[in-house]
Amino acid sequence: MVTIALSGRAPAAPSEKNLAQLMENQMSECCGTPKTTSSKSCDCGSEAKKIVLLYACSGGANVGEISDRAARELMFEGKGTMFCLAGLGGDIQGMIQTARDADVNLVIDGCPMDCAKKAFDRHGITNYTQIKVTDLGIEKVKGVRCTAEQVEQVATVAREKLMEQTV
Amino acid sequence: MKKLQILGTGCPKCKKLAENTEAAAKALGIEYELEKVTDINEIMKFGVMMTPALAVDGQIKVVGKVPDAEAIKPMLQ
Repeated sequence: MVTIALSGRAPAAPSEKNLAQLMENQMSECCGTPKTTSSKSCDCGSEAKKIVLLYACSGGANVGEISDRAARELMFEGKGTMFCLAGLGGDIQGMIQTARDADVNLVIDGCPMDCAKKAFDRHGITNYTQIKVTDLGIEKVKGVRCTAEQVEQVATVAREKLMEQTV
Repeated sequence: MKKLQILGTGCPKCKKLAENTEAAAKALGIEYELEKVTDINEIMKFGVMMTPALAVDGQIKVVGKVPDAEAIKPMLQ
């Protein structure tokens, strides 16, 4: 597991080179023949571990930001791996199959437009659980930053959903 | 000739997936070419961020799992 320190500011998006390095680090840890010395358990070794993927609508309004930040919080807590919803929207075949083969897909939509859910439905992927930020009493507003409390509110519900799905 | 590609850095699960895929291909009697793709940049070009994975003629069929040969057979047909 790669840990990234969280500060008040969102970490910069990784470049393609950094992303490859990040993935290499993850794989070297999850591989039975690691390239680095790591005593951590492995995703690709003999241990059976549920594949939990996190998708956020990451839309332009505050609820989109909340969905994105909540998903990242869960990822940095080690609850799952955040994946690109745009990969489904962009019909990237490998990403569609990745979602299809996951044990749990947690889909966090910001509002009743259900864009993230529809991306799954469009590809006939049914193994997902959806959370909708506006269902939690948070109003959708454009041009307003979300608060840490709102993110935590959604992350809490997400954790409960994941607990139900993974036990 | 089917092009079978095993995407992964060479871990035990990747090797097992390669074995099972070969067993499935042989059982079906199909002509195949098996390639192990270990370069992470090449793996990422498939849109795969989790290994092992199997691609058949360029199409990703399974990600992050190791199905047995029986389960792989329909993926090769």
